Amino acid sequence: MAPASSIPAAQPLPGDSDAHGNGEPISEGEALARLRQCADQSHQYYAAWWLGRNRSRHPEAVPLLITALQQRRPRDPLAGVEENAVARNAARALGKLGDPAAIPELLAALDDEDDGLREAAARSLGELAAIDAVAVLLRRLASGPAGAGATRPDSPRLQEPCEAMLEALGAIGIAEPGVITLIEPFTAHERPLIRSAACRALLQLSGEARWADPLVQLLDHPQLQVRRAALMDLGAVGWRPALEPICRTLAENSLKLIALRGLVEQGAHHDATIQAEAVLSAMDSLL
Amino acid sequence: MDSIGERIQAVRQAASAQTMLAATCALAASDHGDSVNGEAIACLVEVLGFNNPGAAVAAVDGLIRLGPMAVEPILDSLDPRNYGARAWAVRALAGIGDVRGLDLLEEALASDVGPSVRRAAACGLGSLQLKALKPHQRTAVRERALLALLGGCHDGEWVVRYAVSVGLESLGLRLEPQPQEQLQLLKALAALGQPDLEDTVVVRLRARLAHQRLLALMPAAGIEAQAQADDRP
Repeated sequence: MAPASSIPAAQPLPGDSDAHGNGEPISEGEALARLRQCADQSHQYYAAWWLGRNRSRHPEAVPLLITALQQRRPRDPLAGVEENAVARNAARALGKLGDPAAIPELLAALDDEDDGLREAAARSLGELAAIDAVAVLLRRLASGPAGAGATRPDSPRLQEPCEAMLEALGAIGIAEPGVITLIEPFTAHERPLIRSAACRALLQLSGEARWADPLVQLLDHPQLQVRRAALMDLGAVGWRPALEPICRTLAENSLKLIALRGLVEQGAHHDATIQAEAVLSAMDSLL
Repeated sequence: MDSIGERIQAVRQAASAQTMLAATCALAASDHGDSVNGEAIACLVEVLGFNNPGAAVAAVDGLIRLGPMAVEPILDSLDPRNYGARAWAVRALAGIGDVRGLDLLEEALASDVGPSVRRAAACGLGSLQLKALKPHQRTAVRERALLALLGGCHDGEWVVRYAVSVGLESLGLRLEPQPQEQLQLLKALAALGQPDLEDTVVVRLRARLAHQRLLALMPAAGIEAQAQADDRP
Protein backbone atom coordinates (compact mmCIF):
# COMPACT_ATOMS: atom_id res chain seq x y z
CA MET A 1 0.00 0.00 0.00
CA ALA A 2 2.87 2.39 0.68
CA PRO A 3 4.46 4.14 -2.27
CA ALA A 4 7.44 2.20 -3.45
CA SER A 5 9.83 5.04 -2.71
CA SER A 6 9.20 4.80 1.04
CA ILE A 7 10.06 1.10 1.23
CA PRO A 8 13.55 0.49 2.53
CA ALA A 9 15.37 -1.37 -0.23
CA ALA A 10 15.40 -4.95 0.95
CA GLN A 11 17.80 -7.57 -0.31
CA PRO A 12 16.57 -10.73 -1.96
CA LEU A 13 15.93 -13.40 0.64
CA PRO A 14 19.04 -14.91 2.20
CA GLY A 15 17.97 -18.32 0.88
CA ASP A 16 18.06 -16.99 -2.66
CA SER A 17 21.42 -18.13 -3.95
CA ASP A 18 21.16 -15.78 -6.92
CA ALA A 19 21.14 -12.72 -4.69
CA HIS A 20 23.29 -9.96 -6.12
CA GLY A 21 21.19 -6.89 -5.31
CA ASN A 22 23.23 -4.00 -4.07
CA GLY A 23 20.39 -2.83 -1.91
CA GLU A 24 20.37 0.95 -2.31
CA PRO A 25 16.95 2.49 -2.76
CA ILE A 26 16.14 3.08 -6.41
CA SER A 27 13.10 4.55 -8.12
CA GLU A 28 10.78 2.71 -10.50
CA GLY A 29 12.19 4.76 -13.38
CA GLU A 30 15.72 3.76 -12.44
CA ALA A 31 14.69 0.08 -12.21
CA LEU A 32 13.17 0.21 -15.69
CA ALA A 33 16.27 1.93 -17.08
CA ARG A 34 18.53 -0.68 -15.50
CA LEU A 35 16.50 -3.51 -16.98
CA ARG A 36 16.44 -1.85 -20.43
CA GLN A 37 20.24 -1.58 -20.72
CA CYS A 38 22.16 -4.77 -21.50
CA ALA A 39 25.73 -3.82 -20.64
CA ASP A 40 25.59 -4.60 -16.92
CA GLN A 41 23.72 -7.79 -16.07
CA SER A 42 24.00 -7.33 -12.33
CA HIS A 43 21.98 -4.11 -12.82
CA GLN A 44 19.42 -6.03 -14.86
CA TYR A 45 19.31 -8.73 -12.24
CA TYR A 46 18.57 -6.29 -9.45
CA ALA A 47 16.08 -4.33 -11.57
CA ALA A 48 14.07 -7.47 -12.42
CA TRP A 49 13.91 -8.39 -8.75
CA TRP A 50 12.98 -4.81 -7.79
CA LEU A 51 10.04 -4.61 -10.23
CA GLY A 52 8.56 -7.83 -8.84
CA ARG A 53 9.20 -6.98 -5.22
CA ASN A 54 7.53 -3.60 -5.56
CA ARG A 55 4.67 -4.91 -7.70
CA SER A 56 5.38 -2.36 -10.41
CA ARG A 57 2.33 -1.39 -12.45
CA HIS A 58 4.28 0.57 -15.02
CA PRO A 59 3.16 -0.39 -18.56
CA GLU A 60 6.77 -1.05 -19.58
CA ALA A 61 7.52 -3.42 -16.70
CA VAL A 62 5.96 -6.61 -18.14
CA PRO A 63 7.29 -6.16 -21.72
CA LEU A 64 10.80 -5.47 -20.41
CA LEU A 65 10.67 -8.49 -18.09
CA ILE A 66 9.50 -10.70 -20.95
CA THR A 67 12.44 -9.46 -23.04
CA ALA A 68 14.77 -10.20 -20.12
CA LEU A 69 13.31 -13.70 -19.87
CA GLN A 70 14.01 -14.20 -23.58
CA GLN A 71 17.67 -13.24 -23.11
CA ARG A 72 18.47 -16.66 -21.66
CA ARG A 73 20.89 -18.92 -23.42
CA PRO A 74 22.58 -22.28 -22.77
CA ARG A 75 23.82 -22.20 -19.27
CA ASP A 76 27.38 -21.38 -18.27
CA PRO A 77 27.64 -21.93 -14.53
CA LEU A 78 31.09 -20.34 -14.44
CA ALA A 79 29.90 -16.94 -15.60
CA GLY A 80 29.04 -14.53 -12.77
CA VAL A 81 25.67 -12.88 -13.15
CA GLU A 82 24.73 -14.48 -16.40
CA GLU A 83 21.75 -13.98 -18.65
CA ASN A 84 19.99 -16.93 -17.10
CA ALA A 85 20.18 -15.39 -13.64
CA VAL A 86 18.48 -12.31 -15.09
CA ALA A 87 15.94 -14.59 -16.80
CA ARG A 88 15.20 -16.39 -13.53
CA ASN A 89 14.58 -13.13 -11.71
CA ALA A 90 12.45 -11.90 -14.61
CA ALA A 91 10.39 -15.12 -14.44
CA ARG A 92 9.87 -14.65 -10.70
CA ALA A 93 8.87 -11.02 -11.14
CA LEU A 94 6.39 -11.87 -13.90
CA GLY A 95 4.57 -14.19 -11.49
CA LYS A 96 4.23 -11.38 -8.99
CA LEU A 97 2.95 -8.80 -11.48
CA GLY A 98 -0.08 -10.92 -12.36
CA ASP A 99 -0.26 -10.12 -16.09
CA PRO A 100 -1.38 -13.10 -18.23
CA ALA A 101 0.59 -11.63 -21.15
CA ALA A 102 3.63 -13.28 -19.57
CA ILE A 103 2.18 -16.80 -19.79
CA PRO A 104 3.43 -17.88 -23.26
CA GLU A 105 7.06 -16.99 -22.52
CA LEU A 106 6.87 -18.63 -19.07
CA LEU A 107 5.44 -21.76 -20.69
CA ALA A 108 8.42 -21.86 -23.04
CA ALA A 109 10.73 -21.50 -20.03
CA LEU A 110 9.18 -24.65 -18.49
CA ASP A 111 11.07 -26.61 -21.13
CA ASP A 112 14.38 -24.73 -20.70
CA GLU A 113 17.41 -26.84 -19.90
CA ASP A 114 18.15 -24.69 -16.83
CA ASP A 115 16.20 -26.34 -14.02
CA GLY A 116 16.48 -23.18 -11.91
CA LEU A 117 14.61 -21.35 -14.63
CA ARG A 118 12.04 -24.16 -14.93
CA GLU A 119 11.53 -23.85 -11.19
CA ALA A 120 11.00 -20.08 -11.31
CA ALA A 121 8.68 -20.40 -14.32
CA ALA A 122 6.62 -23.14 -12.63
CA ARG A 123 6.12 -21.02 -9.52
CA SER A 124 5.10 -18.00 -11.54
CA LEU A 125 2.69 -19.97 -13.71
CA GLY A 126 1.13 -21.20 -10.47
CA GLU A 127 0.82 -17.63 -9.21
CA LEU A 128 -0.79 -16.66 -12.51
CA ALA A 129 -3.13 -19.69 -12.25
CA ALA A 130 -2.17 -20.48 -15.85
CA ILE A 131 -4.40 -23.38 -16.93
CA ASP A 132 -2.31 -23.82 -20.09
CA ALA A 133 0.65 -24.86 -17.92
CA VAL A 134 -1.06 -28.01 -16.60
CA ALA A 135 -0.32 -30.12 -19.67
CA VAL A 136 3.38 -29.17 -19.71
CA LEU A 137 3.73 -29.75 -15.95
CA LEU A 138 2.09 -33.18 -16.27
CA ARG A 139 4.43 -34.06 -19.10
CA ARG A 140 7.55 -33.07 -17.15
CA LEU A 141 6.41 -34.95 -14.03
CA ALA A 142 5.01 -37.98 -15.87
CA SER A 143 7.98 -40.23 -15.05
CA GLY A 144 7.02 -39.97 -11.37
CA PRO A 145 9.16 -40.00 -8.22
CA ALA A 146 11.61 -42.50 -9.72
CA GLY A 147 12.18 -40.40 -12.85
CA ALA A 148 11.37 -36.72 -12.49
CA GLY A 149 11.84 -37.11 -8.74
CA ALA A 150 15.19 -38.93 -8.89
CA THR A 151 18.36 -37.30 -7.59
CA ARG A 152 20.80 -36.32 -10.33
CA PRO A 153 24.04 -38.22 -10.51
CA ASP A 154 26.08 -34.99 -10.50
CA SER A 155 24.26 -32.87 -7.92
CA PRO A 156 21.84 -33.10 -5.00
CA ARG A 157 19.12 -31.56 -7.16
CA LEU A 158 16.29 -33.63 -8.59
CA GLN A 159 15.80 -34.20 -12.31
CA GLU A 160 12.85 -31.82 -12.25
CA PRO A 161 12.13 -29.01 -9.78
CA CYS A 162 9.33 -31.21 -8.38
CA GLU A 163 8.49 -29.04 -5.40
CA ALA A 164 7.74 -25.98 -7.53
CA MET A 165 5.95 -27.99 -10.20
CA LEU A 166 3.69 -29.83 -7.72
CA GLU A 167 2.88 -26.58 -5.96
CA ALA A 168 2.03 -24.99 -9.29
CA LEU A 169 -0.44 -27.78 -10.08
CA GLY A 170 -2.12 -27.17 -6.73
CA ALA A 171 -2.25 -23.42 -7.26
CA ILE A 172 -3.63 -23.65 -10.79
CA GLY A 173 -6.43 -25.76 -9.36
CA ILE A 174 -7.44 -28.17 -12.12
CA ALA A 175 -8.70 -31.12 -10.04
CA GLU A 176 -9.02 -33.65 -12.86
CA PRO A 177 -8.37 -37.35 -12.09
CA GLY A 178 -5.27 -37.31 -14.33
CA VAL A 179 -3.72 -34.55 -12.25
CA ILE A 180 -4.56 -36.19 -8.91
CA THR A 181 -3.24 -39.59 -10.04
CA LEU A 182 0.02 -38.06 -11.20
CA ILE A 183 0.61 -36.17 -7.93
CA GLU A 184 -0.29 -38.98 -5.49
CA PRO A 185 2.91 -41.07 -5.79
CA PHE A 186 4.96 -37.98 -4.86
CA THR A 187 3.38 -38.10 -1.37
CA ALA A 188 5.70 -41.09 -0.78
CA HIS A 189 8.85 -39.38 -2.12
CA GLU A 190 11.94 -39.90 0.02
CA ARG A 191 12.38 -36.15 0.55
CA PRO A 192 10.01 -34.55 3.07
CA LEU A 193 9.87 -31.27 1.11
CA ILE A 194 8.52 -33.09 -1.94
CA ARG A 195 6.01 -35.02 0.18
CA SER A 196 4.92 -31.70 1.67
CA ALA A 197 4.47 -30.08 -1.75
CA ALA A 198 2.49 -33.07 -3.04
CA CYS A 199 0.16 -33.12 -0.01
CA ARG A 200 -0.30 -29.37 -0.31
CA ALA A 201 -1.34 -29.69 -3.95
CA LEU A 202 -3.69 -32.61 -3.26
CA LEU A 203 -5.26 -30.80 -0.32
CA GLN A 204 -5.82 -27.73 -2.49
CA LEU A 205 -7.27 -29.77 -5.34
CA SER A 206 -9.41 -32.24 -3.39
CA GLY A 207 -10.04 -30.57 -0.01
CA GLU A 208 -9.72 -34.06 1.51
CA ALA A 209 -8.48 -34.02 5.11
CA ARG A 210 -6.36 -37.14 4.62
CA TRP A 211 -3.80 -35.01 2.77
CA ALA A 212 -3.60 -32.58 5.69
CA ASP A 213 -2.47 -35.17 8.23
CA PRO A 214 1.00 -35.72 6.73
CA LEU A 215 1.49 -31.94 6.54
CA VAL A 216 0.58 -31.51 10.20
CA GLN A 217 2.97 -34.35 11.08
CA LEU A 218 5.79 -32.60 9.24
CA LEU A 219 5.40 -29.70 11.69
CA ASP A 220 7.14 -32.03 14.18
CA HIS A 221 9.97 -32.95 11.81
CA PRO A 222 13.43 -32.63 13.38
CA GLN A 223 14.67 -30.36 10.57
CA LEU A 224 13.70 -26.69 10.77
CA GLN A 225 13.69 -26.41 6.98
CA VAL A 226 11.00 -29.10 6.76
CA ARG A 227 8.88 -27.53 9.51
CA ARG A 228 9.10 -24.22 7.66
CA ALA A 229 7.95 -25.80 4.41
CA ALA A 230 5.00 -27.51 6.13
CA LEU A 231 4.05 -24.15 7.67
CA MET A 232 4.07 -22.43 4.29
CA ASP A 233 2.14 -25.30 2.70
CA LEU A 234 -0.61 -25.37 5.34
CA GLY A 235 -0.80 -21.57 5.03
CA ALA A 236 -1.08 -21.70 1.25
CA VAL A 237 -3.99 -24.13 1.55
CA GLY A 238 -5.54 -22.19 4.42
CA TRP A 239 -6.15 -25.35 6.45
CA ARG A 240 -7.67 -23.93 9.64
CA PRO A 241 -7.79 -27.21 11.59
CA ALA A 242 -3.97 -26.86 11.71
CA LEU A 243 -4.20 -23.67 13.80
CA GLU A 244 -3.01 -25.25 17.06
CA PRO A 245 -0.17 -27.33 15.59
CA ILE A 246 1.04 -24.25 13.66
CA CYS A 247 1.18 -22.17 16.84
CA ARG A 248 3.02 -24.97 18.67
CA THR A 249 5.68 -25.89 16.11
CA LEU A 250 9.27 -24.79 16.67
CA ALA A 251 9.87 -22.11 14.04
CA GLU A 252 10.14 -18.36 13.73
CA ASN A 253 7.05 -16.35 14.58
CA SER A 254 7.49 -14.50 11.27
CA LEU A 255 6.78 -17.71 9.36
CA LYS A 256 3.93 -18.75 11.64
CA LEU A 257 2.35 -15.34 11.01
CA ILE A 258 2.59 -15.86 7.24
CA ALA A 259 1.00 -19.31 7.61
CA LEU A 260 -1.79 -17.96 9.81
CA ARG A 261 -2.41 -15.15 7.33
CA GLY A 262 -3.07 -17.95 4.83
CA LEU A 263 -5.50 -19.61 7.26
CA VAL A 264 -7.45 -16.36 7.50
CA GLU A 265 -7.39 -15.46 3.82
CA GLN A 266 -7.69 -18.90 2.18
CA GLY A 267 -9.45 -20.74 4.99
CA ALA A 268 -12.99 -19.81 4.08
CA HIS A 269 -12.75 -22.19 1.11
CA HIS A 270 -12.86 -25.16 3.42
CA ASP A 271 -15.56 -26.34 5.74
CA ALA A 272 -13.91 -24.79 8.78
CA THR A 273 -15.36 -24.71 12.25
CA ILE A 274 -12.52 -22.44 13.31
CA GLN A 275 -13.53 -18.82 12.76
CA ALA A 276 -11.22 -16.19 11.31
CA GLU A 277 -11.35 -14.31 14.61
CA ALA A 278 -9.74 -17.23 16.44
CA VAL A 279 -6.89 -17.17 13.92
CA LEU A 280 -6.49 -13.40 14.30
CA SER A 281 -6.25 -13.80 18.04
CA ALA A 282 -3.52 -16.43 17.61
CA MET A 283 -1.69 -14.04 15.29
CA ASP A 284 -1.88 -11.25 17.88
CA SER A 285 -0.09 -13.42 20.40
CA LEU A 286 2.77 -14.12 17.97
CA LEU A 287 3.62 -10.46 17.31
CA MET B 1 17.71 -27.63 41.13
CA ASP B 2 20.90 -25.78 40.20
CA SER B 3 21.56 -22.44 41.83
CA ILE B 4 21.28 -19.27 39.78
CA GLY B 5 25.06 -19.01 39.84
CA GLU B 6 25.39 -22.46 38.31
CA ARG B 7 22.79 -21.68 35.67
CA ILE B 8 24.59 -18.47 34.73
CA GLN B 9 27.84 -20.39 34.51
CA ALA B 10 26.17 -22.98 32.28
CA VAL B 11 25.14 -20.21 29.85
CA ARG B 12 28.60 -18.60 29.83
CA GLN B 13 30.35 -21.94 29.30
CA ALA B 14 27.97 -23.37 26.71
CA ALA B 15 30.07 -24.83 23.92
CA SER B 16 27.39 -25.31 21.26
CA ALA B 17 24.28 -23.51 20.06
CA GLN B 18 22.17 -26.35 21.45
CA THR B 19 23.64 -26.31 24.96
CA MET B 20 23.45 -22.51 24.93
CA LEU B 21 19.74 -22.73 24.12
CA ALA B 22 19.09 -25.27 26.85
CA ALA B 23 21.10 -23.30 29.42
CA THR B 24 19.37 -20.03 28.52
CA CYS B 25 15.93 -21.65 28.79
CA ALA B 26 16.86 -22.97 32.23
CA LEU B 27 18.10 -19.56 33.38
CA ALA B 28 15.11 -17.71 31.89
CA ALA B 29 12.69 -20.05 33.65
CA SER B 30 14.41 -19.79 37.04
CA ASP B 31 12.54 -18.54 40.05
CA HIS B 32 14.81 -15.65 40.98
CA GLY B 33 15.28 -14.05 44.34
CA ASP B 34 15.86 -10.30 44.33
CA SER B 35 19.45 -10.71 45.44
CA VAL B 36 20.47 -12.60 42.31
CA ASN B 37 18.15 -11.08 39.73
CA GLY B 38 20.78 -8.55 38.71
CA GLU B 39 23.24 -11.26 37.72
CA ALA B 40 20.61 -13.24 35.86
CA ILE B 41 19.53 -10.13 33.95
CA ALA B 42 23.11 -9.27 33.03
CA CYS B 43 23.61 -12.78 31.70
CA LEU B 44 20.34 -12.82 29.72
CA VAL B 45 21.24 -9.42 28.21
CA GLU B 46 24.60 -10.85 27.14
CA VAL B 47 22.81 -13.71 25.38
CA LEU B 48 20.99 -11.17 23.17
CA GLY B 49 24.36 -10.38 21.58
CA PHE B 50 25.48 -13.97 20.92
CA ASN B 51 23.97 -14.41 17.45
CA ASN B 52 22.01 -17.47 18.60
CA PRO B 53 18.35 -16.85 17.68
CA GLY B 54 16.92 -19.73 19.69
CA ALA B 55 18.73 -18.67 22.85
CA ALA B 56 17.88 -15.00 22.20
CA VAL B 57 14.16 -15.85 22.05
CA ALA B 58 14.47 -17.62 25.40
CA ALA B 59 16.44 -14.70 26.87
CA VAL B 60 13.82 -12.20 25.66
CA ASP B 61 11.10 -14.28 27.34
CA GLY B 62 13.12 -14.39 30.54
CA LEU B 63 13.74 -10.62 30.49
CA ILE B 64 10.07 -9.91 29.88
CA ARG B 65 9.22 -12.10 32.86
CA LEU B 66 11.65 -10.14 35.02
CA GLY B 67 9.94 -6.94 33.90
CA PRO B 68 10.85 -3.32 34.78
CA MET B 69 14.04 -4.22 36.66
CA ALA B 70 15.49 -5.46 33.35
CA VAL B 71 14.91 -2.17 31.53
CA GLU B 72 18.01 -0.22 32.62
CA PRO B 73 20.42 -3.11 31.97
CA ILE B 74 18.90 -3.61 28.51
CA LEU B 75 19.15 0.10 27.65
CA ASP B 76 22.71 0.29 29.00
CA SER B 77 23.75 -2.64 26.84
CA LEU B 78 22.62 -1.14 23.53
CA ASP B 79 25.45 -1.27 21.05
CA PRO B 80 24.85 0.52 17.73
CA ARG B 81 27.37 -1.81 16.08
CA ASN B 82 25.54 -5.00 17.08
CA TYR B 83 22.31 -4.89 15.09
CA GLY B 84 21.17 -8.35 16.20
CA ALA B 85 21.46 -7.57 19.89
CA ARG B 86 19.65 -4.28 19.39
CA ALA B 87 16.76 -6.00 17.58
CA TRP B 88 16.34 -8.46 20.45
CA ALA B 89 16.52 -5.59 22.95
CA VAL B 90 13.64 -3.87 21.14
CA ARG B 91 11.58 -7.04 21.44
CA ALA B 92 12.33 -7.39 25.13
CA LEU B 93 11.46 -3.74 25.81
CA ALA B 94 8.29 -4.02 23.73
CA GLY B 95 7.24 -7.01 25.83
CA ILE B 96 8.03 -5.33 29.13
CA GLY B 97 6.09 -2.21 28.18
CA ASP B 98 8.11 0.18 30.32
CA VAL B 99 7.97 3.83 29.17
CA ARG B 100 11.75 4.12 29.51
CA GLY B 101 11.86 2.11 26.29
CA LEU B 102 9.69 4.62 24.42
CA ASP B 103 12.53 6.34 22.53
CA LEU B 104 13.88 3.05 21.27
CA LEU B 105 10.45 1.71 20.27
CA GLU B 106 9.64 4.91 18.34
CA GLU B 107 12.93 4.76 16.53
CA ALA B 108 12.57 1.03 15.81
CA LEU B 109 9.08 1.30 14.32
CA ALA B 110 10.09 4.26 12.18
CA SER B 111 13.37 3.02 10.82
CA ASP B 112 14.54 -0.47 11.79
CA VAL B 113 15.37 -2.55 8.70
CA GLY B 114 13.89 -5.74 10.17
CA PRO B 115 10.11 -6.18 9.77
CA SER B 116 10.01 -8.46 12.81
CA VAL B 117 11.60 -5.68 14.89
CA ARG B 118 9.18 -3.03 13.60
CA ARG B 119 6.33 -5.45 14.27
CA ALA B 120 7.40 -5.96 17.89
CA ALA B 121 7.88 -2.21 18.34
CA ALA B 122 4.36 -1.48 17.05
CA CYS B 123 2.90 -3.95 19.49
CA GLY B 124 4.97 -2.57 22.34
CA LEU B 125 3.96 1.02 21.62
CA GLY B 126 0.32 0.02 22.07
CA SER B 127 0.84 -1.68 25.37
CA LEU B 128 3.09 0.68 27.35
CA GLN B 129 2.31 0.60 31.06
CA LEU B 130 0.82 3.99 31.96
CA LYS B 131 -0.70 3.38 35.38
CA ALA B 132 2.29 4.43 37.46
CA LEU B 133 2.74 7.72 35.60
CA LYS B 134 1.53 11.20 36.59
CA PRO B 135 -1.41 12.38 34.47
CA HIS B 136 0.60 14.87 32.38
CA GLN B 137 3.28 12.25 31.70
CA ARG B 138 0.62 9.77 30.74
CA THR B 139 -0.80 12.19 28.18
CA ALA B 140 2.63 12.87 26.71
CA VAL B 141 3.48 9.18 26.39
CA ARG B 142 0.13 8.38 24.81
CA GLU B 143 0.50 11.18 22.29
CA ARG B 144 3.96 10.02 21.28
CA ALA B 145 2.86 6.38 21.02
CA LEU B 146 -0.13 7.38 18.91
CA LEU B 147 2.02 9.51 16.61
CA ALA B 148 4.51 6.67 16.13
CA LEU B 149 1.72 4.18 15.36
CA LEU B 150 0.07 6.56 12.89
CA GLY B 151 3.41 6.70 11.07
CA GLY B 152 3.55 2.88 11.08
CA CYS B 153 0.24 2.67 9.16
CA HIS B 154 2.28 3.36 6.00
CA ASP B 155 4.90 0.68 6.57
CA GLY B 156 5.72 -1.35 3.45
CA GLU B 157 5.29 -4.74 5.17
CA TRP B 158 1.84 -6.17 5.83
CA VAL B 159 2.87 -7.76 9.11
CA VAL B 160 3.97 -4.40 10.49
CA ARG B 161 0.68 -2.78 9.50
CA TYR B 162 -1.07 -5.74 11.14
CA ALA B 163 0.90 -5.11 14.33
CA VAL B 164 0.09 -1.39 14.08
CA SER B 165 -3.63 -2.28 14.01
CA VAL B 166 -3.17 -4.37 17.15
CA GLY B 167 -1.10 -1.59 18.75
CA LEU B 168 -3.73 1.03 17.93
CA GLU B 169 -6.43 -1.18 19.43
CA SER B 170 -4.60 -1.71 22.70
CA LEU B 171 -3.68 1.96 22.90
CA GLY B 172 -7.30 2.89 22.18
CA LEU B 173 -8.61 0.58 24.88
CA ARG B 174 -6.54 2.54 27.40
CA LEU B 175 -7.14 6.06 26.14
CA GLU B 176 -8.83 8.45 28.49
CA PRO B 177 -11.55 10.50 26.92
CA GLN B 178 -9.49 12.69 24.55
CA PRO B 179 -11.76 13.26 21.58
CA GLN B 180 -8.96 14.39 19.27
CA GLU B 181 -6.87 11.27 19.90
CA GLN B 182 -9.83 8.94 19.63
CA LEU B 183 -10.75 10.51 16.34
CA GLN B 184 -7.25 10.15 14.88
CA LEU B 185 -7.05 6.57 16.05
CA LEU B 186 -10.41 5.55 14.61
CA LYS B 187 -9.63 7.24 11.30
CA ALA B 188 -6.33 5.41 11.02
CA LEU B 189 -8.01 2.04 11.69
CA ALA B 190 -10.80 2.84 9.26
CA ALA B 191 -8.21 3.56 6.55
CA LEU B 192 -6.41 0.26 7.26
CA GLY B 193 -9.76 -1.48 6.82
CA GLN B 194 -10.44 -0.09 3.35
CA PRO B 195 -9.70 -2.16 0.24
CA ASP B 196 -8.69 0.85 -1.85
CA LEU B 197 -6.12 1.91 0.76
CA GLU B 198 -4.95 -1.42 2.17
CA ASP B 199 -4.29 -4.36 -0.13
CA THR B 200 -3.70 -7.13 2.42
CA VAL B 201 -6.91 -8.88 3.41
CA VAL B 202 -5.77 -10.00 6.85
CA VAL B 203 -4.68 -6.45 7.76
CA ARG B 204 -8.07 -5.10 6.73
CA LEU B 205 -9.87 -7.75 8.81
CA ARG B 206 -7.74 -7.05 11.87
CA ALA B 207 -8.11 -3.27 11.53
CA ARG B 208 -11.88 -3.57 11.17
CA LEU B 209 -12.06 -5.79 14.23
CA ALA B 210 -10.08 -3.22 16.22
CA HIS B 211 -12.26 -0.43 14.86
CA GLN B 212 -15.42 -2.28 15.90
CA ARG B 213 -14.14 -2.98 19.39
CA LEU B 214 -13.07 0.63 19.95
CA LEU B 215 -16.23 2.07 18.47
CA ALA B 216 -18.20 0.36 21.20
CA LEU B 217 -16.10 2.29 23.73
CA MET B 218 -16.01 5.65 21.99
CA PRO B 219 -19.31 6.14 20.22
CA ALA B 220 -18.97 9.93 20.15
CA ALA B 221 -15.67 9.85 18.29
CA GLY B 222 -17.13 7.28 15.94
CA ILE B 223 -19.99 9.55 15.00
CA GLU B 224 -17.57 12.43 14.47
CA ALA B 225 -15.28 10.29 12.27
CA GLN B 226 -18.27 9.15 10.22
CA ALA B 227 -19.44 12.75 9.81
CA GLN B 228 -16.00 13.82 8.61
CA ALA B 229 -15.83 10.90 6.19
CA ASP B 230 -19.24 11.83 4.78
CA ASP B 231 -18.05 15.39 4.21
CA ARG B 232 -15.27 14.23 1.92
CA PRO B 233 -15.82 15.13 -1.70
